[in-house]
Amino acid sequence: MQGPEVAWYLVVAAFLFATGALGVLLRRSPLIVLLSLEIMLNGANLALITFARHQGDETGQIFALAVMAVAASEVVVGLGLIVAIARKRIDLDVDKLNVLRG
Amino acid sequence: MITAAWICLVAPLAATLAITLLGQSLSRRAAGYLATASVLGSFAAAVVVFAKLWGESPDSRSHASTVWEWLNAGSFHVGLRILVDPLSVFMMLIVSGVGFLIVAYSIGYMDGDDEERRYFAYMALFVFSMLLLVQAGNLVILLAGWGLVGLSSYLLIGFWHDRPSAVAAAKKAFIMNAIGDATMALAIFILIQHRQTLNFPDAFAVGPGHGWLVNLVALGLLGGAVAKSAQIPLQTWLPDAMEGPTPVSALIHAATMVTAGVYLIVRTHPVFEQAPRVLELAAGLGAATLLMAGLIALVQTDIKRVIAYSTMSQIGYMFLGAGLGAYGNAMFHLMTHAFFKALLFLAAGIVIHALADEQDIRKLAGVGGALPWTRRAFLIGSLALVGIPPFAGFFSKDSIIASALGRGWYGGILFAVALAGTFLTGVYAFRLYFVVFRGEPSAFVREHVTEHEHSGEGPFSMTAPVAVLAVLSVIGGWIQFAPVWHPVSDWLDPVAPPIATPSNTEEALASLFALLLGLSGIGVAWMLYGARRWSVPRYALGQRVLEHKFYFDEAYDIALYRPSVALAVGLKRWFEDPVIGGSIKEFATGMRDLALGTRRIQTGLVRTYVLAIAASLVVLMVVFVAVR
Repeated sequence: MQGPEVAWYLVVAAFLFATGALGVLLRRSPLIVLLSLEIMLNGANLALITFARHQGDETGQIFALAVMAVAASEVVVGLGLIVAIARKRIDLDVDKLNVLRG
Repeated sequence: MITAAWICLVAPLAATLAITLLGQSLSRRAAGYLATASVLGSFAAAVVVFAKLWGESPDSRSHASTVWEWLNAGSFHVGLRILVDPLSVFMMLIVSGVGFLIVAYSIGYMDGDDEERRYFAYMALFVFSMLLLVQAGNLVILLAGWGLVGLSSYLLIGFWHDRPSAVAAAKKAFIMNAIGDATMALAIFILIQHRQTLNFPDAFAVGPGHGWLVNLVALGLLGGAVAKSAQIPLQTWLPDAMEGPTPVSALIHAATMVTAGVYLIVRTHPVFEQAPRVLELAAGLGAATLLMAGLIALVQTDIKRVIAYSTMSQIGYMFLGAGLGAYGNAMFHLMTHAFFKALLFLAAGIVIHALADEQDIRKLAGVGGALPWTRRAFLIGSLALVGIPPFAGFFSKDSIIASALGRGWYGGILFAVALAGTFLTGVYAFRLYFVVFRGEPSAFVREHVTEHEHSGEGPFSMTAPVAVLAVLSVIGGWIQFAPVWHPVSDWLDPVAPPIATPSNTEEALASLFALLLGLSGIGVAWMLYGARRWSVPRYALGQRVLEHKFYFDEAYDIALYRPSVALAVGLKRWFEDPVIGGSIKEFATGMRDLALGTRRIQTGLVRTYVLAIAASLVVLMVVFVAVR
């Protein structure tokens, strides 16, 4: 295998995942939350591909493709929801969408 | 022959189902005719079975038939098995024959009642249950019939369910009978454990040892018999059962069901013979009951209750006979008693029917002039009851009394008690007859008789059965005259060989005494109530005791009912409410608080959920790594 060590790839993957997670936890705009989710997924994808290369097995890469497909669908649903919320003239703020409170 | 026996059994059941299912589409009259026809069909089938059995040799007169085995547990099998032998055929003839007459009588008696269909469905159900009881080929089927007759008795006593007293009487009868059913079931359990079969007659094969177990089984069976036949100490339900319609009293509480106890003892006589002390106890209970019931009957003022106590007393004689081992004589008395007691009840029913459902003999006084044929029928019934020759009771009762002789001092006591009973029978039977049918009509009778002048003594369906029963009460006893001919005993002996056969001298002695005492009883009644030469003696204390029926009801009330109620109230106050109710309340409050606490976690904010997931993941990873 050429290039940097496997560990470096994993560090980048962890960094991406942590960035995304912080974004999900801290940001209030649903749009940004969705973007952060995508970043988390990409971190996970990077880890999958890294291990696939490391093991010399393509299964992990196939998984990454599947995750991308799912992520695309998820974004479609998420954006659709955001558009629907915006149409109702509700503030785009996840902290105010709390009707499910017990 | 077995087919005929099955037809005999299921015909009344078919009528019950038909009346129930057809409902309004069947007219009330048609329901009555259907029930009557089905019971008549049963009787015809029973006659066919009897004729076929008659033609066989005495040793081979026993046929069993099983249609369906529904319990198979290892070597233990119980099936729907009927047994046709001389004893069951004897009972089938009585049940379906007398039953037919009484159901036919009901057509007239119940005419115009709001719920005739229900009545006739119950009546047919009763006849089916009773036939199941007597045709049963094993103890489980017998117990099923036993319970079913109890049920139909309950339904019919409480037939007029808008009367609180009828409902109370029905419940009382059912509960008293349930005690007997329970002891019988326990006896059957012991038999299952030790005999592996409940089929007649194998269930009672003599086994060595287990002396106290046999006693226990016999006691359990005796408990059932005592409850069903209203003997001491479970007798208190029978007088109250008179709340039902009069034909019900005649059929169930005089002619058939209450004699089931006697049938049970005769049917299971091998068990009792292995437990002779229990058999003696049965005789003693019978003697005590016949004396006590005879005394109580002296002071009752309700026409049906007097006859009810007389029934208890006569069943006491049957228990005495069965307990002494004179099975044939006991069954013979069961038969003649069915005739004359049904006659007395049905005649009383005509009186009650004609006089606006009044049952108090003081109001009914002097009705004989208006109902001459009923008076004659009642007289025949009373003479048969007291045992005056040539009426039926003479032939059957005296043989039972004679059986008591030759049994030592115990037999001597029983003999004396039975004779005292005949004297009492003479007094109370003719007190009833003289008060109700002789003398000047009371104001109440005069008022009501004029309305009834046109209708005579009742419709044909009521008078005809009374006439038939009157004839049977005269000639029914002639089929057995102990010293000369005894076809009834000969017929039954292969099933239940008697252990007591009184000699001719004993028979003559018993007959002489019984006849003299019965006649003197009638004489006393005549002096007191007919000619009124003597004034009725008054002993305040004795009268009060008798009017309270020896305080049995009160004693049970104090000894059983009140403690149970006190226990229940106490348990409710000190256990149910604080412990059970309290703990459930505590539990509910706790769950509610828990739920309220849990509710707080659900904030509705997506970010807190995500944080919770992330934190849990971290914890899981730490644990995972640490454990590795």
